[in-house]
Amino acid sequence: MTAPRVPHTLPAMLTNSLEAAMALTSKRSDGPAARALDLIKTYGTGEVEVRALDGVSVEFERGRFTAVMGPSGSGKSTLMHCMAGLDAPSSGSAFVGDDEIGRLDDAGLTELRRDRIGFVFQSFNLVPTLSAAENITLPADLAGETVEREWFDALVVQLGIAERLSHRPGELSGGQQQRVACARALIGRPELIFADEPTGNLDSNASAEVLEFLRRAANEHGQSIAMVTHDPLAAAYADRVLFLADGKVVGELSSPSADAVLAHVRRLGG
Amino acid sequence: MRRVTVRGLLARKLRLALTALAIVLGVTFVSGTLVLGDTLNRTFDDLIGTAYQHVSFQIRGKAAFGNNNATAVNSTADRKPIPESIAAAVRRVPGVAYAFGSVGGYAQFMARDGSAIGKGGTSTLGFSFDPNPQLSPYRLLQGRAPTAAEDVVMDKATAAKYHFAVGERVLVDLPDRPQTFTISGLVTFGSDNNLAGVTLAGFDPPTAQALFNSRGYYNTISVLAAPGADTVKLQRAIAAILPAGAEVVSGQTVASELSTAVNNGLSFISTALLIFALVSLFVGGFTIFNTFSITVGQRTRELALLRLVGASRRQVFRSVVGEAAVTGLIASLVGLGLGILAALGLKALLKAFGIALPSAPLVFEARTAVVAIAVGVGVALLSALIPARRAVRIPPVAALVEQSEVETVLVRRRQVIAGIAMVLVGVVAFVAGLTKPDIVLVGVGALAILVARGLLLPLVARPLSSALGRPLARLLGTPGQLGRENATRNPRRTAQTATALMIGLSLVSTIAVLGASLSSSAKNSVDSALSADYIVSGKGGFSKSVVADVSRLPGVTTTTVVYQGRFEVRGSLSTLVAASPAELSRTVTLHTTAGTGAPAMAAGELLVDTNTADADHLHIGSTVPVKFAQTGPTTMRIGGIFKANPLLGSYLTGDGFFLSHFDNPLPIAVLLSRAPGDHGLDGALGRALKPYANVSFKTRAQFEASQQASVNQLLGLVYVLLALAILIALIGIVNALMLSVFERTHEIGLLRAVGMKRRQVRAMIRSESVIIALFGAVVGLVIGTLVGVALASSLRNKGVTNVAVPLPSLIGFLVLSALLGLGAATWPARRAANLDVLAAVAAE
Repeated sequence: MTAPRVPHTLPAMLTNSLEAAMALTSKRSDGPAARALDLIKTYGTGEVEVRALDGVSVEFERGRFTAVMGPSGSGKSTLMHCMAGLDAPSSGSAFVGDDEIGRLDDAGLTELRRDRIGFVFQSFNLVPTLSAAENITLPADLAGETVEREWFDALVVQLGIAERLSHRPGELSGGQQQRVACARALIGRPELIFADEPTGNLDSNASAEVLEFLRRAANEHGQSIAMVTHDPLAAAYADRVLFLADGKVVGELSSPSADAVLAHVRRLGG
Repeated sequence: MRRVTVRGLLARKLRLALTALAIVLGVTFVSGTLVLGDTLNRTFDDLIGTAYQHVSFQIRGKAAFGNNNATAVNSTADRKPIPESIAAAVRRVPGVAYAFGSVGGYAQFMARDGSAIGKGGTSTLGFSFDPNPQLSPYRLLQGRAPTAAEDVVMDKATAAKYHFAVGERVLVDLPDRPQTFTISGLVTFGSDNNLAGVTLAGFDPPTAQALFNSRGYYNTISVLAAPGADTVKLQRAIAAILPAGAEVVSGQTVASELSTAVNNGLSFISTALLIFALVSLFVGGFTIFNTFSITVGQRTRELALLRLVGASRRQVFRSVVGEAAVTGLIASLVGLGLGILAALGLKALLKAFGIALPSAPLVFEARTAVVAIAVGVGVALLSALIPARRAVRIPPVAALVEQSEVETVLVRRRQVIAGIAMVLVGVVAFVAGLTKPDIVLVGVGALAILVARGLLLPLVARPLSSALGRPLARLLGTPGQLGRENATRNPRRTAQTATALMIGLSLVSTIAVLGASLSSSAKNSVDSALSADYIVSGKGGFSKSVVADVSRLPGVTTTTVVYQGRFEVRGSLSTLVAASPAELSRTVTLHTTAGTGAPAMAAGELLVDTNTADADHLHIGSTVPVKFAQTGPTTMRIGGIFKANPLLGSYLTGDGFFLSHFDNPLPIAVLLSRAPGDHGLDGALGRALKPYANVSFKTRAQFEASQQASVNQLLGLVYVLLALAILIALIGIVNALMLSVFERTHEIGLLRAVGMKRRQVRAMIRSESVIIALFGAVVGLVIGTLVGVALASSLRNKGVTNVAVPLPSLIGFLVLSALLGLGAATWPARRAANLDVLAAVAAE
């Protein structure tokens, strides 16, 4: 299997407007979108102590799509939670841009998540009482801001959900729901999108749609993305794959193919 | 399976505690009412026991009205007095050890500052003091018995409270005029310092006879049998020497008659309180029903899993119902314990609203425990039946499939039509039942309204809540909008949650409409019946000298004296009002539809109101049989028919006729008119009435206001009693919100993850709560107002001439409901805001 190619199907005009919008985003500082420094996360104490993270230091480069792979219990989700400000590490520090998130209080963390991070979870991504459109604009609405109309329109066209905007999540397929979640993650042009097993509940077609979209978001709009997955096929969409096992970074692949990822996983497992 | 039930209970402690609270409060109210009722009954029984402890027989006039019915027993005014000579004759009957003739009447102590001691009317007792302790319940504690005309003995409680000592002078207001006496001694009633809060003024017997206008007569004669005397023979021997119209009964008979009469009077209080207690329990039942419905919904997978691994339907049913039974039992026990506190609270509450009751140690009957537990467990079981039935219908396969919480309720035309029809049937039956009164019809009406609620409320829940939430969504932005969506996402649950508040507020608004109508009608009836400039009245009757003292004031042009007494007309006991007919039109406006007013009264004819005339087919010139306690049966000619007015009563006559048929009645009111342009009467009246501390005057406007105030005071008491039902309804909202927060853990986690602040989470939950509360309040107020208007209109014949809808009050209730909804959200909102975001999003 080869690495997926980015299709060029958007009308030129739309692409232009996206590029114009991108120009705004690129004003940000040049360092990594997020990084972790010697993160340690332990649960329990003494005999029953579990080290979910055992001194992890990683960087998620700006404008790139990074996948974090590992078997269950490898600490990949914990890493993401700590870096997104959803969980606090036992020691070490995590940064989004240049800001250390350990220094933020609950309100600061909330604003960080709202304004600078996008989330795509495995399931339960959408608020069931809100329409697709309302779900997409939710973070902006919570901040009391309005979304850029053109960006919104471009996103929903690109994601193929323009016709479904007034529907509630219950009336959407799993794939459509995940695409709405992607739109919500992207609408605010966050510094980093965290995707936690975004295709874990999807069939292969729907998975491919979501992953291709994330790939394009990185390519065309320079969106930084960190995705946790245990699926080598999904990881193959990334620019770079980090392998975690027993709370440690145990390997890395650049521009991987699915086969290379699989081979690497096998090697680690063996 | 029992283990599953128990584990289930333990796992949902908090939720159950909240559910149980609804039952606890209801049971507390019920057991408090029972304890209070038992305590009062015991208190009065003890007092009556003390009073008749040593009395072997009592000689008294035969009851004038009815077949000796219990309510008539207590009133000496309804019995003919006994000539003094009988006492002497009775003393000569062999076997009689001692006999004492007593009289009693109005005797009001005045404090040193000139104010009346006690609450007037029935809280004062003047009596002839029996120096012989063999029969008397009064014990001389200090000083000596009254022997001279200026002597009085005072109860110890009054003396202690108002700092009176033996030998000091005290002013006493009496039927004829106030007089000053010397306190010769202090007395107790048995071992109590007074008679259940009633002040005691004891006089030397001949003095008492003079003061209470009973010269030559006694009200009753108490007889002590000699030791060893044959009481049956003795009673027969005494009966043999009595004149017609007098009777001799045993002391026990009098005591039991009295205690029946008192208990009947008290049972009114108990019944009224019990009705409110049942309302609370009823509302509590809805809270429990809602909680169990939601939990069964939430536990669908768990229950399905139980079925999957082999639990039978019966076992699932028992598990749910068992949970309810245990909750009900524990709650009832707690409520029972709190009931004792509630009894004290209710007593204080009644006192605050002017119903004073004697103090005594609380009486806790076994019956109270049985009733409280039966009611508490019963309500819990009944409320759990429908959810339990729903639980057994869950198929095992439900354990394996995802479920969505967002529910759609289909609007079915048939359901709407049936619902509206039920509302109409319900209101008509309810009102017809209350006015008749027919408890079955009331029940049918209430049931129909409830069924209609079940049919209609889920249908209107979404559009109405959505509309009510619109301003909130606009005001609070996204959190408000989300709260609004949450309030409408499951209309059935919203409807169920709001039902308890709806019931509470529909009662409150019914009472409010009724109260406003009564108040407005009271004003109306004063306006249309009274033309007097001043109304002089007391608490009950007052000294006749008041009449003379006010009528001679310069500037007073007309004085109308009003009396009131009981008589039997066409075989039924009624109230006869009498007034002096001279220049009547200057103080009283009689709208006569036939015959005449004042001339007929002056002629000693009977005037009836239009309602009575219509109902009994009475015409001018018809004669009706009447009967008076003192003078016996006679007939009266109908001399006039006047437009019904509750202030005037149904039967009127002139004071001349009245005074010739009643023994020394006390005036209950004096109506005055003044010369046109004379405004200086207020000061003069105040000075003239100064010696009569329990008598006051009011201008017509003030009188109107006081009539309305008494309605409002009653209204206040009802509101306080209904407040408990509202409180329970709020617990229901808290409970439902807690369950929703629990249920939406993921969703709230997601919202927090994508950037909702804690403050915004709280705002979201609060909005939902306020919308649910407003929804319940709006529906409740609409239903309550409709019922109130229907009820008030149907009482037109009973004196409710005006139907008024107190819009400001109703709006006030709405605002209050919103605030209560806000309060109810406090805890759930805090819980939602403090949810661990990671746990919420990670919990798959």
